[in-house]
Amino acid sequence: MEVLAQIFAVFFLIVGTLLSLIGVIGFIRLPDVYTRLHATGKVSVFGVVFLLASAILLTPLSLWKGLLLIFFVLMASPSVSHSVASAAYKAGLPMKDPARNDLKGKLERDSGRGV
Amino acid sequence: MTGFLDIVLWSVLGVHLLMALVAAWRTWRGDNSIERLIGLDLASTMTLAVLVLVSIIQQNSIFMDVAIALAALSYLSTVVLAKFVSDHKVF
Repeated sequence: MEVLAQIFAVFFLIVGTLLSLIGVIGFIRLPDVYTRLHATGKVSVFGVVFLLASAILLTPLSLWKGLLLIFFVLMASPSVSHSVASAAYKAGLPMKDPARNDLKGKLERDSGRGV
Repeated sequence: MTGFLDIVLWSVLGVHLLMALVAAWRTWRGDNSIERLIGLDLASTMTLAVLVLVSIIQQNSIFMDVAIALAALSYLSTVVLAKFVSDHKVF
């Protein structure tokens, strides 16, 4: 049972690190702010949650702390991405080759109430 | 098995420190303020991952408490800074 937990922990460590690496490479290589934000959202959801699953399997003391931190990361990361993307759109940063822009003209109509 | 686990843990820690360095570089030399904000958020996420890895290596769950506090503080600071950059006011 111990060995099985360690095998799963090593698997989670490697998978989480590879997903974080993909996110950071996307953060460097992608063209504009919105796609870079898309890449870093993957880091804080998948990378940290897999590392925390490995920590729950490997350390005997930190089950509830790990579950609390997984819950908090899963709650916090999408709202951080949403607020930063909203701030970027309100600051008027351009998209690179957008297929379409559903918010065009909508922000001026709703101004004053926030997006 | 434990030798292999130690090797995996230390190499994963090194990769995460390298990614934190990349995020700090993007925060220093970003194209605009929103991109620097994304770099700051990524750096704090990497610090969270490093704290979790140190907690595994030391077999000591007090680093997990530090990680919870860091997650709460970085969440608040990123949301407030994003609102300040876009609206030029916080509340």
